[in-house]
Amino acid sequence: MDELLQFLIAGLKNGSIYALVALGFTIVFAATGAINFAQGEFFMLGGMLGVFFSELGLPLALAALAAIAVTAAVGAVFELLAVRPISGGDPLRIIMVTIGGAVVLRQLALHLFGPDERALAPFTEGASLKLLGAAVERQTVWIWALTALAVVALAFLYRRTTFGRAMRATSIQRDAARLVGVNTGAMVTWSFALAAALGAVGGLAVAPLTQTAFSVGAGMGVKGFAAAILGGLGNPVAAVGGGLILGLMESLTAGYVDPLYKDAVAVIVLLVVLFVRPQGLFGGSGRVKV
Amino acid sequence: MNLRTARALVPLVLVAVVAALPLVVSDRFLLKVFTFAGINALVVIGLALLFGHAGQVSLGHAAFVGLGAYTCAVCTVRLEWPWLLAFAAAGAVAAFGGLVLALPSLRLKGHYLAMATLGFGELMTLTFREADPVTGGVDGLGGIPFPDLGPFAVDGAATLYWLVWGVAGLALLAVYNVTSQRPGRAMRALHGSEQGAQACGVDIVGVKVRTFVVSALLAGLAGALYASVVGFVSPSVFTLAASVTFLAMAVLGGTGSLAGPLAAAVLLTLLQYIDALIPGIPRETAQTIQTYQEDIYGLAIVLVVIFAPGGLARLWRRRPRGGETA
Repeated sequence: MDELLQFLIAGLKNGSIYALVALGFTIVFAATGAINFAQGEFFMLGGMLGVFFSELGLPLALAALAAIAVTAAVGAVFELLAVRPISGGDPLRIIMVTIGGAVVLRQLALHLFGPDERALAPFTEGASLKLLGAAVERQTVWIWALTALAVVALAFLYRRTTFGRAMRATSIQRDAARLVGVNTGAMVTWSFALAAALGAVGGLAVAPLTQTAFSVGAGMGVKGFAAAILGGLGNPVAAVGGGLILGLMESLTAGYVDPLYKDAVAVIVLLVVLFVRPQGLFGGSGRVKV
Repeated sequence: MNLRTARALVPLVLVAVVAALPLVVSDRFLLKVFTFAGINALVVIGLALLFGHAGQVSLGHAAFVGLGAYTCAVCTVRLEWPWLLAFAAAGAVAAFGGLVLALPSLRLKGHYLAMATLGFGELMTLTFREADPVTGGVDGLGGIPFPDLGPFAVDGAATLYWLVWGVAGLALLAVYNVTSQRPGRAMRALHGSEQGAQACGVDIVGVKVRTFVVSALLAGLAGALYASVVGFVSPSVFTLAASVTFLAMAVLGGTGSLAGPLAAAVLLTLLQYIDALIPGIPRETAQTIQTYQEDIYGLAIVLVVIFAPGGLARLWRRRPRGGETA
């Protein structure tokens, strides 16, 4: 029983990170109709920039904020430089540009920060907390808190602010949004910045537990995308649900089958969901047909 | 001689140049570089079919090359199969892997295949590294014999070169035939408009799946050739970086063409070994190119897609048209 609880905690910990990355996919997909292959690199940049700023001597909180801000700026610049020139065109071209851009971001991180794994200090020092006999690392609590905060802030932004309504209008019907005076181009830029910031939060929160390196982006991209597809691409609530479920599936596989198969779970989930239920677990019956 | 006959002669001249190269180049290492160019060309021909004709992206082609290479290695070293059988098995295993990925991913509109192949690639890298009893783990698997084609011994630098380019040439011919006939028109049609193609009776899912399986098959055969030429396989070769390299070659080569991607494959391979190609090149220059190699591929993809979506093929095609009007 204790063992199961421990696996559930581990699963919800990783699942929260996948949820943050999945939210980034969902936001950009809603705005552009394309999959952003650089999403995993934003996760990587968050962790690596956090390490970089804290090594500069900034207090951890400040370093984290700086890392999130810089990553969001990178997301916005990425959209302006690479995606904007071909916006409205073939989604294949947008995807190709994000693939190339992901490689460039990864290489930039390699040249700037080097090839080694880096660790970030835990947000609060101290022994693990006890929950019903299971150990919960303090950093795990941070991960949950930050994910919850990000989700609440995002929900508030989307539902309660004019800016958020403009974002939603853009994603539902871009031309109609433009007709009523929404600057749709700016909304796409903001969605990249927002997606990058969410990825950065994930990368920062998990860096004290797993360490980070320039190369972690692609793998996290696949997992975040599998989570987004599992929930239902384009729906933020579903993305979070998909992330948590994927995390649980991984940790239960690692715990009861073999840790070696943990990384296979996301790919298999991705293929099975595409084959059996492409609208995702929480999607309606509106199957995307050709 | 008018322009049209001149253009018709170009492929013949190129074939002659490629075939005669070992007679001119005596340096064994340089010949090996050109052999690698042929192996990459074989992969890129399949990728060009997928990307340039069917409009789909693969970020996992290095994994199919790896599947082929490891299948060939295991079949020849551990099972002691004849080489030709191992070669065929390598193609079959890679093609089957392609089918498993393509069926779920290509049923839907959108670009799920790209993500599925990215995940598959990560998974295969892990498998090559962790499945020690079969793959030899991080240490790799050595002692792979040279290709054995019955009466023809393929064990020298020149004969290996001819074998690799022979296979690449046959693949090119086969793919060219496919693209210039009904399946090729179907592919181009669905690249233009999937609904339009479907309305004209094109089985769009079938065409896309078959295209992907063929490109995985060619990658698998290229992997078997790689394993046989090098004699050793290790997990560090078949990575995401290699998949990106293949993709960059296909993108730089251009859409709707085979000559463009073929040229890009050869050029980018030679760039990797520029110090062998140009002996006088300063050490620092060669090292800089090698350090920033992946940056070059990533940037090339971004810049070509934004500024020159037609790629190299477009430059080549535009010139004679200008000549005709003049």
